[in-house]
Amino acid sequence: MKTVTLDINGKAFCLDVPDGELLIETLRDRLGLLGTKYSCLEGDCGVCTVLADGKNVLSCLMLTVEAEGRKITTIEGLGQKDLHPIQQAFIDEGAVQCGFCTPGMILASKSLLDAHPSPTQDEVVHALDGNLCRCTGYVRIVNAVLSAARKMTKTP
Amino acid sequence: MPILKDFRYHAPVSVAEALALLRKSKKPLLLGGGTFVLNTLKKTAVYPTDVIGLRKIAPLCGIKDAAKEVTIGSMTTLAEVTSSSVVREHFASLAEAAACVATTPLRHMATIGGNLASRFFWVDLPSVLMALGAKVSWAGDKAKKTLSVEDFLSLKGPEAQGIVTEILLPKNGLTGAYFRHTQTMEVDLPIVAMAFAARRQADGVKDVRCIVNTTLSRPVRLTGVASYFETTKVGEWKADKAADVLRRDLEQGKLDDYRLHCLCADLESLIDKFKKA
Repeated sequence: MKTVTLDINGKAFCLDVPDGELLIETLRDRLGLLGTKYSCLEGDCGVCTVLADGKNVLSCLMLTVEAEGRKITTIEGLGQKDLHPIQQAFIDEGAVQCGFCTPGMILASKSLLDAHPSPTQDEVVHALDGNLCRCTGYVRIVNAVLSAARKMTKTP
Repeated sequence: MPILKDFRYHAPVSVAEALALLRKSKKPLLLGGGTFVLNTLKKTAVYPTDVIGLRKIAPLCGIKDAAKEVTIGSMTTLAEVTSSSVVREHFASLAEAAACVATTPLRHMATIGGNLASRFFWVDLPSVLMALGAKVSWAGDKAKKTLSVEDFLSLKGPEAQGIVTEILLPKNGLTGAYFRHTQTMEVDLPIVAMAFAARRQADGVKDVRCIVNTTLSRPVRLTGVASYFETTKVGEWKADKAADVLRRDLEQGKLDDYRLHCLCADLESLIDKFKKA
């Protein structure tokens, strides 16, 4: 066991975790942050996406002990009062169907837009290449990210 | 039920400390970005007693630009390699190849050292690093060595037990290119890939390195193709002749027709690129 202090969604959590525990297990099973999903557990599908220091990474491929010292953001950390503009754009553009991929898609989009506020369509497609969606066919998701980018760059 | 069986995790802050842990642990395993290692641990029956994470060893991180060479720390992520202005300026083919590896979140995690040290046949970067004349700094139990990529990849058994610390890339003015082909989607692993580098001269090229990477073997140097390009003026390069030489170079390689066809198409693109430049 290791005692770790994690910075998750701006809050500090001091936890005792087995050395081999994965971040996804800690987030879901210890902290009840259920927006981060279990699925392939091989780094293929992207539903376990979180932000580590602002970059989208996969919590099924990260040990919890290695998350110490990084700022971890889950979908629950976005739009804690009002919806984040990316979340609102996903609703407005009809980019959510079953919703299982949505947290990962939104966090991957946030990582992109924080680094490149006005991406091209190709850049959006490339940035979401690690997130699979079986419902939407991706068009509405890409449109939502482009729409969010336009709104966020207009905001003073 | 936990996804991984438990082990002891260590986070050394120096290479010496990591080597000492390697020595004293019963079944140690080095952890870089985690994208290969943690996936393997979910499936393997051979389990480590100790996992040694390298991410807190500061000297293994980052890219240093010196007069004659660029040094990339082994824990530098592929995303950092891709976005580095220094790498893009001097080694554009490496930046392009790193940008092709897997998916965006995996590139945020996977490291250049892990890509090499995995010794998987199909990874993208060893062939590109070979073409660019890179060296691998490696700290073993008894010695520190600087090896060519080929020599590093051929280390076996206890001799291979050590830590990749840096990748050294000489600023030798080579122009590079990288071509890769996947079976279905771009994000898949390459079934065949070719890395090329050469120094342009007035109407020809020198120091040609042409390396083919497949899922079947370690990267293979195409000496015949390199010789053809070096001994023929760029204006006289012919795709069909280069393809004939390539087929001879790869006679022992057991490549199927589809992969050979991909490589011949790559040669054609390469020739076009050099003729237009």
